[in-house]
Amino acid sequence: METTALVWILLFPLTGAAVLALGRNHLSPRLIGALGSLAVGASFAVALSALGAYRQAGAPLVQALFTWAKGSGFQVDFGLLGDPISLWWLLVVTGVGFLIHVYASEYMAEDPDVGRFFAKLNYFVFAMSLLVLADNFVGLLIGWANVGLASYLLIGFWNYKPEAAAAAKKAFLLNVIGEVGIILALVLMFMEFRSLAFADVFAGAAQADAGIVTAVGLLLLVGATAKSAQLPLFTWLPDAMQGPTPVSALMHAATMVTAGVYLMARAFPIYQASSAALAAVAWVGGLTALVGAVVATRQVDIKRVLAYSTMSQLGYMMLGAGVGAYTASLFHFFTHAFFKALLFLGAGMVAHYLHGEQDIRRMGGLGKRLPFAYWTFLIGVLAIAGAPPFAGFFSKDEILGAVLAQGHVALWLIGVLVAGLTAYYMVRLFALVFAGEPAEEHGEGHESGLAMKLPVAILALLSTVSGLIAIPGVTAVPAQFLEPAFLAYGYHVPHGGIGWPVAVVLAAAAAGALLAVRAFGPRGAGRQELLATAGSPLRGALANAFYIDDVYQKGIGGLVVGTSYVVGNGLEPHVIDGLVNGVAGGVRRIAQGLGRLHGGYVRRYTLVLFAGVAVFMIYFLLI
Amino acid sequence: MIGDMVQAYLALSGILFVIGAAGLMLRRSPLVMLMCVEIMLNAANLAFVAFARHLGNMEGHIFTFLVITVAAAEVAIGLAIIVLLFRERDAADVDDVNTLRG
Repeated sequence: METTALVWILLFPLTGAAVLALGRNHLSPRLIGALGSLAVGASFAVALSALGAYRQAGAPLVQALFTWAKGSGFQVDFGLLGDPISLWWLLVVTGVGFLIHVYASEYMAEDPDVGRFFAKLNYFVFAMSLLVLADNFVGLLIGWANVGLASYLLIGFWNYKPEAAAAAKKAFLLNVIGEVGIILALVLMFMEFRSLAFADVFAGAAQADAGIVTAVGLLLLVGATAKSAQLPLFTWLPDAMQGPTPVSALMHAATMVTAGVYLMARAFPIYQASSAALAAVAWVGGLTALVGAVVATRQVDIKRVLAYSTMSQLGYMMLGAGVGAYTASLFHFFTHAFFKALLFLGAGMVAHYLHGEQDIRRMGGLGKRLPFAYWTFLIGVLAIAGAPPFAGFFSKDEILGAVLAQGHVALWLIGVLVAGLTAYYMVRLFALVFAGEPAEEHGEGHESGLAMKLPVAILALLSTVSGLIAIPGVTAVPAQFLEPAFLAYGYHVPHGGIGWPVAVVLAAAAAGALLAVRAFGPRGAGRQELLATAGSPLRGALANAFYIDDVYQKGIGGLVVGTSYVVGNGLEPHVIDGLVNGVAGGVRRIAQGLGRLHGGYVRRYTLVLFAGVAVFMIYFLLI
Repeated sequence: MIGDMVQAYLALSGILFVIGAAGLMLRRSPLVMLMCVEIMLNAANLAFVAFARHLGNMEGHIFTFLVITVAAAEVAIGLAIIVLLFRERDAADVDDVNTLRG
């Protein structure tokens, strides 16, 4: 159905970003926070009305905007598409984004650059909305690149901190690797389908050349691994914690990192046409889930634990997409947005109270002092650990059930293991931060105000109840809502059953939680051991994420620096300069030789002249 | 008349040409060198006219007029250069005029 409303979802945050960027030095912090929140809130309202319009019409909303490029025999139109997948995403992006904006209006109120912060935050929401609203791959790529830029700006928000600047640079570089993958995929796609509109590409995917479709799928996966922090391009995500906490929450819950999952779900006809690419997605997701969870167990920074848990949960989503269970994957995205935003905002409240302290070894006993943060964080932990009836339980089990139903036993076992590890590291985190006695005295901090508590309370509520929209056998809102988008290209999304596998997952999670309580509870042995910071090689490897980042820094970075050194000190002065100087010198020497002929003596010129004539005469007369 | 004596004319033309060329190469006075060039041109003229009479057509004559015209122009320019040269540096020797050497 044609509509003109969708573009407003983009225009509100974009206008907000522009107004705040221009007025950042003139508006009061309160007004800046209110305007920034209002822009995203308006966007959310439009998204809700678009949802209503979609349900009324029963057909995807479309809005043609303009022609992006036109040439002989091809045309790229730029339009917006409001089908179930993009509406699903938009509601989370703008909804959770709105709550985070409200939270940030208090959290960042005392920062001198609050105007710049909200301008960037609004721009981030705009970029992500563009990514999910575009009806063609060009628009998706533009949104994708803008999200990368926005993340760069926000991770490096405190640009006077060298670590923040380095983290921002790293995030940008790794994301550009992904963008190159997507651009290459687009080139192949255009060669095969002569179009970049979703409708044309997806309609032709099943009949297209199998090799090209596989290549497109794998290249898109490269983009998704970079954006969604999957193996092996995940190293920017833990460092991205250098940004302010609301940025982490926005990035991990609503925008940015879920873009890779969106791409996998959006481009599903390509993956359904290539089983190899689909299997690659599943294995990347499964292994990332495992690595993220394992590494999270040894982190000591509250935000880094959450960052690796995001990586692990995104692995679940990719795993779900990789077995074709897109509705389960998207459902997990939905619930994860709530509880991960909740956890990050909770961590923000803790850090706010402790004047920026983020090392969990120096925390402890905060439960008594921050009862609100205690209870809401507990809900987040229960949700991510998969305790029924919290949200994570239903969505995680839906993915794992589908994995098993599709016959991927090895991946299912990995998923169960990750469920246990997730419960372990989350309970460990919770125990170290909130339980027991304070490890250090921090002095009296102040508790958060209403603007921070209200969004957290709403997210806690959603983390508790949002799973109930998909109780197996009772309700199936995500499946019913999302299915038309997949049926449009003739794909029936598989679902997992319930039964003993759920019990296995629950048992694994319970075991993980119990182990964590034993080790890190108020009287656990792990607490003292952690403070002693004794390190075996294995623990060091886990704490440093298997040194993958060091391999990149020293390996690839060293290679680049070494090559630059050779080029700069060997190739450039000797070979290239030598070539240029050699040519110039040769010309000069030849010119000097020729110049000697030009002596200035008329008699000599005459002699040469006559000698020449004589030679010709001899030639003509004698030969 | 015994024939048209073309060999004699050509021989004279050759001698004149060699005298002119030798003078051009050996003498240093610019004025004399200019005169040597004139001698060579006139040697060529003589050859043209001799051949024209021998072959009985007019091209040689016409060409001689052309050469005379060019020679007149050449003398005008050459003399102007020599006058300027004398005014500028009092040079009676072309070997002193080598400022344009490479």
